[in-house]
Amino acid sequence: MSAAGWHRGARGVIAAASLALCIAGLGSVTQGVAVPVRAGLAQDGLAREFTRRLESHRTTLATQQAARGQAIRRIRPVGAPAATALALPASGPIARITVARLGVEEIVLAGAATHEQLARGPAVLKQGDAASPVTVLAAHRDTHFLFVRDLLAGDEITLQYVTGTEERYRVVRFETVRWDTFSYPRDPARPLLALATCYPFGGAEYGGPWRRIAWAERIT
Amino acid sequence: MLLHPPLRPMSHRETRKRLSVGTITLVAVVISCLVSTHARAQDGQDPAAGGALMLQGKGLASALPAVRLGTDMDVTVSGQILRVRVTQAFRNTSDKWMEATYLYPLPDDGAVDTLKMVVGQRVILGKIKRRQEAREIYDQAKAEGRKAGLVESDRPNLFRNSVANIGPGETVLIAIEYQAPVRQLGGEFAMRLPLVVGPRYVPPHSLTDGAATADAARVIAPLADPALGRSLNPVSITVHLAPGFVPANVISPYHKISVVEAGPAERTVTLAAGEEPADRDFELRWRSASADPTIGLFRQTLGNQQYVMATITPQAKVEPGQLAPREMIFVIDNSGSMSGESMAAAKQSLLHALGTLRPEDRFNVIRFDDTMTQLFEHSTLASAEQIALARRFTEGLEAAGGTEMLPALKAALIDDHPEDPGLRQVIFLTDGSISNEKEMMAEIAAKAGRSRVFMVGIGSAPNNFLMHRMAETGRGTYTNIGDGAEVMARMTALLNRLTAPAVRELAVRVEGSALSLTPERLPDLYAGEPLVLLGRGDRIEGRLVVTGKIGNKPWSQSVDLGRSVESPSVARLWANRKIGDVEAQRWSGQLESEAADAAIAELGLTYEIVTTQTSLVAVDETPARPDGARLKQEELPLLLPKGWDFDGLLGRDAPLPAASAPPPEQEQMMELPQTATGFLGAIYRGLTLLGLGLVGLMTLRRRHVVELRS
Repeated sequence: MSAAGWHRGARGVIAAASLALCIAGLGSVTQGVAVPVRAGLAQDGLAREFTRRLESHRTTLATQQAARGQAIRRIRPVGAPAATALALPASGPIARITVARLGVEEIVLAGAATHEQLARGPAVLKQGDAASPVTVLAAHRDTHFLFVRDLLAGDEITLQYVTGTEERYRVVRFETVRWDTFSYPRDPARPLLALATCYPFGGAEYGGPWRRIAWAERIT
Repeated sequence: MLLHPPLRPMSHRETRKRLSVGTITLVAVVISCLVSTHARAQDGQDPAAGGALMLQGKGLASALPAVRLGTDMDVTVSGQILRVRVTQAFRNTSDKWMEATYLYPLPDDGAVDTLKMVVGQRVILGKIKRRQEAREIYDQAKAEGRKAGLVESDRPNLFRNSVANIGPGETVLIAIEYQAPVRQLGGEFAMRLPLVVGPRYVPPHSLTDGAATADAARVIAPLADPALGRSLNPVSITVHLAPGFVPANVISPYHKISVVEAGPAERTVTLAAGEEPADRDFELRWRSASADPTIGLFRQTLGNQQYVMATITPQAKVEPGQLAPREMIFVIDNSGSMSGESMAAAKQSLLHALGTLRPEDRFNVIRFDDTMTQLFEHSTLASAEQIALARRFTEGLEAAGGTEMLPALKAALIDDHPEDPGLRQVIFLTDGSISNEKEMMAEIAAKAGRSRVFMVGIGSAPNNFLMHRMAETGRGTYTNIGDGAEVMARMTALLNRLTAPAVRELAVRVEGSALSLTPERLPDLYAGEPLVLLGRGDRIEGRLVVTGKIGNKPWSQSVDLGRSVESPSVARLWANRKIGDVEAQRWSGQLESEAADAAIAELGLTYEIVTTQTSLVAVDETPARPDGARLKQEELPLLLPKGWDFDGLLGRDAPLPAASAPPPEQEQMMELPQTATGFLGAIYRGLTLLGLGLVGLMTLRRRHVVELRS
């Protein structure tokens, strides 16, 4: 082949490779950008759903109260159930976590902490109850729990459930642990809230064994 | 002559352009896919990292547990069915409220149907529920401070009892009842009660996800340091033997017993020492004083269905004749769990087997721990030199390391002449202490071909579920060799059985109605083995006809069902065996995992037996634990099976952590999931690639411009 032909061949290869790199690069960038966009959109949808659930719980509770009030005036039916404690839902938005100082508001999801769930919002790893009053929430460090990086001891966190109950916590300490060495106290002095997320913040990689936990103690 | 044909170069260039655009897009798509999958690939790391924890087992208990356990077994043998009541007394010796869990074995063909929890004077009856539901009921009661008992099963021969809210100084009794068939072989009847679960090896490759890790955690338990002595977990056993004939030669090979006559055809057998530690299987054998009974028939009517259990020993004259040359592959386990008496017994067994080979037979020897060595590349004729080589190889074996059985099984099933009509027999010598049993059965179901698999279960606490099922799937048979003293007798008996032709192609039909039989595929019978079949039908009456082939000659036998005896256990034994069939369908791929689970749950709930999908749970209504009192959880440690060498097991086997302190009692461990997206990384990578691409295009444009200008 002539020198010119060789040149043309080389140019062709470079052109092909460059075009391929451009397209691959654009694809990767789009994939990356899609994550926070999706997270934000999901939260918007969840916020609406959460307010709707909150309202419906309020009305249900009000009608129950009214019904009970009436029942007392009439004959008390045998085996009338006490005011049913509205159970927490098993899926969808379950609570709203707010940090006043940072102006952050996230809707927490019920259900298992799968990758799909975490893409939409924080998930409940452990729900605190009377027997064990420690609540553990987990979310992605790049999106929903990015604010944990900016939390300071003394910040106030409010957790409002769909049932209407509001719990206020104050951040007491932070810890950085490996994913398999995390533990929480079985019988703490006050109810606790733990926010868990991957570490270090700003990391570009998926994966890694370290977790950052922000511990908060209940104040009301 | 045309130098440039006018039209063709133009179209040629166009097609080339189109082609190049096509390839570029394809390459770009591929690259972006690779970029994204690389990001995802790191997802798989964490569950395996959790596996490192599993390899170390649940550690070594260097102190006596706070909850002390004593077990009593009361066995009634009626005919060929035994009914056992196992009573476990959990005594809380501490001053805290305790929850105790205990892992223990039962015969793999036993069906557990009753749970009674005794608290003070109250007896609370357990109920059968789906596994998840039972677990929730138990957890709820535990959290509310009420006493609760839970019986779960993770393998047909592994059960786990959990008892919650045992008060300080209190004792809670958990009594379970089960039924199992008596095993018959060559005129000898045997009943085997396993007492301890040996430490299992968990192969790292089986820990694919959270579910597999959780399953592996359920089949292991903490090991008691030998320094604690043998006073842990004492067992007392009483057997009321009423086999329906006058028993003779009532012996127990691994324990000292005392036999008392309770009637002309009844005996009462107890342990001579009263109590023995739970560190080895208990076996009781007896024969008939008169001629061997060849038929056992039991029936039960439950609901609108009738059930029958028939034990038929073929009374056929089997001419030994001239046995054709055959191929024998010996696979011997020399992992750490075999160290001690088991390895000596295994080596002796193999040496004995090598001595029985004839020069026209082919053979090979494979040894495995967490590595594998095949003595010969292909099966070789059993000449004197080759046998001597194999003997030296066997004598040099030492027990150490993990138990990776699957690669050895795969190698043993590789057949150089799959079309050969001769016999190909694979003989496994192992204690079966693995957690991935179903991988073995699946492999045999898929790849056995013409090979028959025979299992020699070595040691004082072998995993008989594995022995039984691998042999069944491999259309072979199995035997147990408890200690060195049994080697000669048992190996000779097994090898003799292997040489006689088996009764094949068995089929059963009954006059009356169609029978739903288990096992669905009737196994081949070796000399001295009876056919034990369980059937269900609408109306079972008349005669039961069994047909088959010995060699090439047809054989049949018929039985009059009018002679059957009523027994309340037949239906449950049928259901239990049916579950075995469902599992066999699962690991041979005929049934999806969910469908198999659903079928097992259905059987478990209908017949009220404990399965891997159903559990027994009993909860007390009165709350006992006061508010504010914390519950401490404890898993009871198990004794190392007798004859196992502690140092050999720990040495190079799945190492038990020396200094892994249990979490302080106030803390509860929890694993945190992956919570990073790495989208920034994706963006950086994307920008870099884009940048490189643009640079490439820029240089091209400049060069092109330069060329145009020049």
